[in-house]
Amino acid sequence: MKQSKMAKIEKKKFRNTLYAVLAFAFFIFSMLQLNIVPERLIQSADRLAYVFGGMFPPVLNEPLDVFGAAVESIQVAILGTIIGVIVSFVLAVFAARNLAPSKTLSFAIKSFAGFVRAVPALIWALLFIVAVGLGPTPGILALAINSIGMLVKVYAEALEEIDMGVVEALESAGASKLHVIMQGVIPSMLSAFIAWSLFRLDVNIRYSAILGVVGAGGIGWELVKAAQMSRYDEALMVTMVIFLMVMSAEVISEFMKKRANSATAQAVK
Amino acid sequence: MKTASVNMEAPPGNKEKRASGLYTEYKRRRKILLKTQGTVFGVIGLLALWSLWGTGFNLLSIITGTYDMFVFMFTDLFPPDLTAIGSLIGPALDTLYMSYVGMVISVVFSLVLGILAAENLTPHVIIAKVSRAITAFLRSVPAVVWAIILVAGIGLGPLTGTIAIGLSGIGILGKAYAEVLEGMDKNQIEGVRATGAGWFQVMGQAVWPQFKAGFVSWSLYKLDMNIREAAILGLVGAGGLGYYLQSSISLFQYQTAAMAILMIFALILLVEFITAKLRERII
Repeated sequence: MKQSKMAKIEKKKFRNTLYAVLAFAFFIFSMLQLNIVPERLIQSADRLAYVFGGMFPPVLNEPLDVFGAAVESIQVAILGTIIGVIVSFVLAVFAARNLAPSKTLSFAIKSFAGFVRAVPALIWALLFIVAVGLGPTPGILALAINSIGMLVKVYAEALEEIDMGVVEALESAGASKLHVIMQGVIPSMLSAFIAWSLFRLDVNIRYSAILGVVGAGGIGWELVKAAQMSRYDEALMVTMVIFLMVMSAEVISEFMKKRANSATAQAVK
Repeated sequence: MKTASVNMEAPPGNKEKRASGLYTEYKRRRKILLKTQGTVFGVIGLLALWSLWGTGFNLLSIITGTYDMFVFMFTDLFPPDLTAIGSLIGPALDTLYMSYVGMVISVVFSLVLGILAAENLTPHVIIAKVSRAITAFLRSVPAVVWAIILVAGIGLGPLTGTIAIGLSGIGILGKAYAEVLEGMDKNQIEGVRATGAGWFQVMGQAVWPQFKAGFVSWSLYKLDMNIREAAILGLVGAGGLGYYLQSSISLFQYQTAAMAILMIFALILLVEFITAKLRERII
């Protein structure tokens, strides 16, 4: 008995070593395939040193443009999130197995969300630009649809976890479908709903900062412009603005989540 | 509201007085609740109005935009150009290699930064703070931004994408590793240390066995994420499928672009499947 256990551990150890060796071999293979060889790295190190040298000190030639673009990015993220949250909630009610009127509908919505989720936001933006033109509108729509992909899944999961006793009690008291959702369903999933929506706002601000890269408005475009014109000092400044945006979004959403949690705790008490 | 009504059902003794007390309590709570709800919805509404005004977004374009998208999808994107598969396999493999090499780079650097940042392993508090600040900075700058800067420095191609992915990965993995390391059982480390083990022995015998599961699952998660990032980094010229997608869209070859998107889609699902299997087997 003990012997076989030892043998099993030995076997597992051997297998893990094998995995490590394979992983290393694949790493070397990939490096060669991508043509990343030491001499190329040394060559590009010079160029990089030049670019990074040109970055200091960071300057802001058109402060109004850059800050306007940053504000626009934040606005794009807010609208994308709000639209995404509203649409996702409605879809999630029809996608959650315990609330959906039919299994087929639930399955259809979930697979739609799965497909939408697997296509990155920037690609959605690229497609929306072709479909509706340049500017913030394709960015908002791309963020909204990308949010839907994720939020439908997590909302539906939160809805599937709620206590059906509450729903049944309301139904037996003669509440209509809308009443059941407003009085029974929403309070039960409220904290998950708030947490995920805030998380998504955080993610969307990250995305909105780079949407401009493909021409969908916001601060990303300023960065591309500065880099293409070889104004590296300005590029660094824009990067720092993006960093501040993303960082503060993270801090604020963390703070709001804490506030919401403590408020819920107080209300329950 | 719910709790108040539950309490009202069980009034022992002095019924009238108790019920009226509960009712005032209920009214007080309801007032607070309504006030909070009002504030929250008010702030959201104001933010929405401000954003609508700032971006000039027309609410109708939710509908027209979706419609335009459907039209675009069914007239231009479909059917995907299947003959393009041959020329797409190269970029798809590049994307895969980029995300793998990027993951390895970020794993190596994150291990160092993670150990330095973890409160229980760091040689000094200040080093931990510095290491945390570095990871926070790398995390908050998106990979695409790194790629844009690096394209200016290194030039177009997969090397740029690989480094960009590696850099932004350090931010995520460094934080994740530090958190896993901080969650370890202290006694085990103390025990091994008490036997007079050196630093490497402590790492190998006490830290690694506890760290392994978190290490493997976070690294594989990062590989999943990298595939998505590698696929879009090409849009700024950093090699891989995205580059192909960008050029076929700017040449109005939408059916080829559709094939590239399908390829990205398939690659993401494939890697997700493989990492899920690996995670199961290793842990």
